[in-house]
Amino acid sequence: MESVKIKQLLEAYFEGTTSISEEKMLQDYFNNEVVADDLVQYKPLFVGLKAAKAERSTKTFNLPEQSKPKIIKTWWYGIAAMLVVAFGVGSFFFSQPQYSQEEKEALAAFEQSKKAMLLLSENLNKGTEQLSLVGQFGRTKDKIFE
Amino acid sequence: MEKTEFIALVMPFKDKLYRLAKRILVSNDEAEDAVQEVFLKLWSGKKNIENYKNPEAFAITMTKNYCLDRLKSKQASNLKIVHSNYQTSENVEKNIEANDGVEMVFKIMETLPEQQRIVLQLRDVEQFEFSEIAQMLESNETAIRVTLSRARKAVRDAMIKNYKYGIG
Repeated sequence: MESVKIKQLLEAYFEGTTSISEEKMLQDYFNNEVVADDLVQYKPLFVGLKAAKAERSTKTFNLPEQSKPKIIKTWWYGIAAMLVVAFGVGSFFFSQPQYSQEEKEALAAFEQSKKAMLLLSENLNKGTEQLSLVGQFGRTKDKIFE
Repeated sequence: MEKTEFIALVMPFKDKLYRLAKRILVSNDEAEDAVQEVFLKLWSGKKNIENYKNPEAFAITMTKNYCLDRLKSKQASNLKIVHSNYQTSENVEKNIEANDGVEMVFKIMETLPEQQRIVLQLRDVEQFEFSEIAQMLESNETAIRVTLSRARKAVRDAMIKNYKYGIG
């Protein structure tokens, strides 16, 4: 391409008014053709911009796998937890009758001994009543026989 | 969306995202991390990506926003992004003059404000149309052209200065 045309394009380029195809023409000229002496100072710019396109990422990117399995796992945990609770409640109910039977027997025994003790204390109280009478007699006797 | 479908959808523009990230963040490691983050975000929102007419543009906008945020937070905490970019064998193989040009362009672009860097990258390297760039940057075409003109002139002036000093 003639250097006159290139100069025109260059001017437009620096004003930001060139189209992509015009920019491609400039790229082509500075990268592939023999550049006119008075334009040589622009060459590194266009060569550099072209080479910049060759930059590549070298890292392999990982996407987390867990998103689906995580959801399934937590779901299972919920079910398992429910089962454990159900099991616990069930075993509680199963063992309940044995416990209350023991308790009943214990209660019955307790009631019996309570009755027995009440009787004993009643009799004791009767005894002490009599004793208090004796005490009263003694005091009265002391008053008379002073 | 299945994982394979998603990968088939995003892989074609993975390198574009990487190049843009590297332009903004300079460091290779930071750029790779940024692309990984963007992919994760896109993946976790994968039900939505199907709704976008242009997933590529959406991904580029996301990358730009993420990188600029990253830059801000680093600046806020007074940390500089130090890169440990090494010369790869690919660079050495290139024509030395071209190699200088490439490195020079990158170095000069680093000195530009982020907005100019982004527009220059999207237009001169990735060859997007002005309408597309305006959409990605949530701006209008006129503003994009102005920014582009400024960026190109800045690079030109810096390169010519270097070139003159180089010849001596």
